[in-house]
Amino acid sequence: MNNFPVIKGSSYVLAFTPDMIMHSGTTQTTEKVVNPDSEYLRELPKHYRTYEEVVSYIPNQVYIGNATYDDLGNTPFPFYDKKWENAKSDGAFGSIVDEEEFYGTMHISDVFELVLFEPEFAKRVKEKLEKRKFFTEAQLEKLIADKSTASREELERLVNEEHAEGLYINLTELVGVIKRAHDVDVNLSAHVMLENLVAKASNVIALIELVKKNNIKPEDIDYVIDCCEEACGDMNQRGGGNFAKASAETAGYTNATGSDIRGFCAGPAHAMIHAASLVHSGTFKNVVVSGGGCTAKLGMNGKDHVKKGLPVLEDCVASFAILVSENDGIHPVIRTDIVGSHKIGTGSAPQMVITALVGEPLTRAGLKFTDIDKYAPELQNPDITKPAGAGDVPEANYKMIAALAVMKKEIERSQIADFVKKHGMTGWAPTQGHIPSGVPYLGHLIKECLDKKTKRAMIVGKGSLFLGRLTNLFDGVSFIVEANEGSGSVEHDIESSNETVFKAKGTSTKGINVAYALEGSEHGSQEARLALKIAASKGIDTVLCDGADAHSQMEKLLGSGEAQAAVTMHYPFPIGVSTVGKVITPAKGKPMYIANTTGTSDTDRVAALVKNAIAGIIAAKADGVERPTVGIANIDGARACAKILRTLKDNGYDIEFADSARADGGVEMRGNDLLMGSCDVMVMDALTGNLMMKLFSSYTTGGQYESVGYGYGPGIGEGYDKLIMIVSRASGAPVVAGAVEYAANLIANDWKAIAKAEYAAAHKAGLDALLSEISSAKKADVEEEAEVVAPPKEVCTEAIAGIEVMDLEDAVKTLWKAGVYAESGMGCTGPIIQIAPARLEQSMDILRKAGYIE
Amino acid sequence: MDLENQKRVLNISEEHGAENVVILLGAAEAEASGLAAETVTAGDPTFAGPLTGVQLGLTVYHICEDEVKSEVDPSVYEEQVGMMEMVMDVDSIHEEMENIRKEYCKYLG
Repeated sequence: MNNFPVIKGSSYVLAFTPDMIMHSGTTQTTEKVVNPDSEYLRELPKHYRTYEEVVSYIPNQVYIGNATYDDLGNTPFPFYDKKWENAKSDGAFGSIVDEEEFYGTMHISDVFELVLFEPEFAKRVKEKLEKRKFFTEAQLEKLIADKSTASREELERLVNEEHAEGLYINLTELVGVIKRAHDVDVNLSAHVMLENLVAKASNVIALIELVKKNNIKPEDIDYVIDCCEEACGDMNQRGGGNFAKASAETAGYTNATGSDIRGFCAGPAHAMIHAASLVHSGTFKNVVVSGGGCTAKLGMNGKDHVKKGLPVLEDCVASFAILVSENDGIHPVIRTDIVGSHKIGTGSAPQMVITALVGEPLTRAGLKFTDIDKYAPELQNPDITKPAGAGDVPEANYKMIAALAVMKKEIERSQIADFVKKHGMTGWAPTQGHIPSGVPYLGHLIKECLDKKTKRAMIVGKGSLFLGRLTNLFDGVSFIVEANEGSGSVEHDIESSNETVFKAKGTSTKGINVAYALEGSEHGSQEARLALKIAASKGIDTVLCDGADAHSQMEKLLGSGEAQAAVTMHYPFPIGVSTVGKVITPAKGKPMYIANTTGTSDTDRVAALVKNAIAGIIAAKADGVERPTVGIANIDGARACAKILRTLKDNGYDIEFADSARADGGVEMRGNDLLMGSCDVMVMDALTGNLMMKLFSSYTTGGQYESVGYGYGPGIGEGYDKLIMIVSRASGAPVVAGAVEYAANLIANDWKAIAKAEYAAAHKAGLDALLSEISSAKKADVEEEAEVVAPPKEVCTEAIAGIEVMDLEDAVKTLWKAGVYAESGMGCTGPIIQIAPARLEQSMDILRKAGYIE
Repeated sequence: MDLENQKRVLNISEEHGAENVVILLGAAEAEASGLAAETVTAGDPTFAGPLTGVQLGLTVYHICEDEVKSEVDPSVYEEQVGMMEMVMDVDSIHEEMENIRKEYCKYLG
């Protein structure tokens, strides 16, 4: 079994931007300079489509996953006069947003107060975007904030006098502007900022749709690679970057970093190979490749479309995002060992190019041309390119691949047409440079591999480097994607992900049924089935909830009473509820409860330890230990906790204290006691407990696979009556089965009644008074330090360096105290304080006086 | 034809004399080949480049036409063009090129 990385999800987005065709498409902006009164510019707006027409356009429905390329292939050419029945703006892979929604996304993506909206327009956009559910409430509120809006007169003045770029609707209605970001620097001009904000905003929607459509948590993404064709940076670093990180920030990928990879149209294929290698090497687990779209190419072939009486078909900014992750045994793998590349010495003759990208890697891998089910080269929509005299681009590529197969004597010359039909696709992608380059197929390919319709495909990206005028070389890379051999019987689970798909029947008559929500396990569906089979062998019935809505299925089963408990990988417990894990200690194989392992039983450390002890006693008793012994791990707060527990015992709450196995004994447990299981309930804070769980569960396997124990346990808190058992994404089948068994015991012993009795006993022994003593002591400590409040936010584009990193936050507070807004940050050369340009001198003075800088 | 290429063709013709220049095309189909051939003989039909209104009348062939192919080492031709020849409609390219040459070419005997 190989360990190749997988393509776990994809998203594809179109933004219909008719007014940007005229104002930003280079064919039109060039014409306005060369021939401002031209017939073409007058005719052009008559050829704009409506949003509804764009949504129902079949190639667009294929792009967002509502139709297949075969549906398009079966449509008589041309496509522009046909409609897809049941067309929707929301698709399986992504969505088609309208111009106003897209302008709104640009506004939200702007963090330098460059975008201004007319106030009424801002309100309307906010309402529209609320329905899309892309953004947080705070992001949406920004649209209508005072400093985000300006009157129409002011907008007009900014366009006419301050070189701002206008944002228009209905041809001439000015609804917003993008201001220049610098007075002199052309790289920060309004024009460039507009192009870059378009690339960013379209990328942002693709990143958001990627996590939404594939049920991924944004915080699980480690790295983002942007592969669009724009450059961002000021005049001192024109292509400095980083679109990837900037876009991921707006999309809420809080744990990600990223960088940009450029290669003209070949960019996405290069980026996919980088992503696959990063994951395969173990450097990052979840890497996203994404690219925003481009205004310059809007209406690129507009002259031909207008001349031939067609609608202007290049009226959408396009974007995409692909998630590459560790092998899950389900999703299609990227064969990092079969990569084709156009080398510097390859030459630019088509035959040399196709040999390098397709023939050579196949030969090296011992594969025939016909072993590749589908080839995905440039997938431009012929509806756009044919009327412009550029022919059918994908078809031309397929013919070349077939001809090479003939030369290699793998097929007969007479079979070329059949080869093209069988191994090719009808192109559907918009002509946005890098966008059509192979990657639009990946969304469809994932589905085809899961459905076992396609076994192997080759993605080919090609780029014309001469456009940058630094080299005349051609460029390209290719890679092979294969259905995951580990998928076996899993395919059915995915297909019917809205249904409860797998039940394991135990022989027990207890009538206990436990739901297992499989969401984000690192070990895949097959491992889950194995877990439930183990549970069934112990007599417990289980239901597997799988697919995108696993959690809502789980909640439904719990709500209806069909399941009395659920096992899952994460759950939003309220404060006050925390989980008690159960492990097997290695010295003598004795079980031990770790109290606690996830969640927060109290925000105060000592109070949390006390409550964890009670939760641990509840879990142990409900699991069948009649008089559990309690020990406290020797960590910060242990003595204070022990003191309170002793007082509770003195007051009548019956706690059985354990004695350390070390010579000096005592209730405080040492590391040795952990391994020996000297107590039944080992009390510690949840962070330490979580660490212990992972150690106890996976020390026999080297770490990646948790093989022993019962998982992180049930969420226990006063008044909490749902039985939710936590396991980790690394938990293997034995641990998941253990969690199911642990749950069954708790149900069988009426854990709710036990919890109620224990809490009542603790309260009777004076728990509340003891805990309130801790918090009142603490309050007195903190009241002294008055809070320094930040002055109103300003746009900070200047940096002050030279402050010691340990003093950075204090320096910021010093400025705040003086009424100057400042932010701490990290510059290339060390810590910096960011400040508005107008405040620079004043701030330097303040910091100098306070001794922060020389 | 690319504006940059038009400029190069014009410069080379001026430097060496139009009668001494042969243009060799490698476009993938007849229409594009015809447009390029027209550009270097009758002038840029799109009225966009330096050859607009310049009737150079240069001698022009496509690489897959027999007149040129017979001049090339067969093994080199096979390696560089063999595959594309299979994909291209050689007959219609030749016909298109013949038409342009008959009408505009100034230096064929």
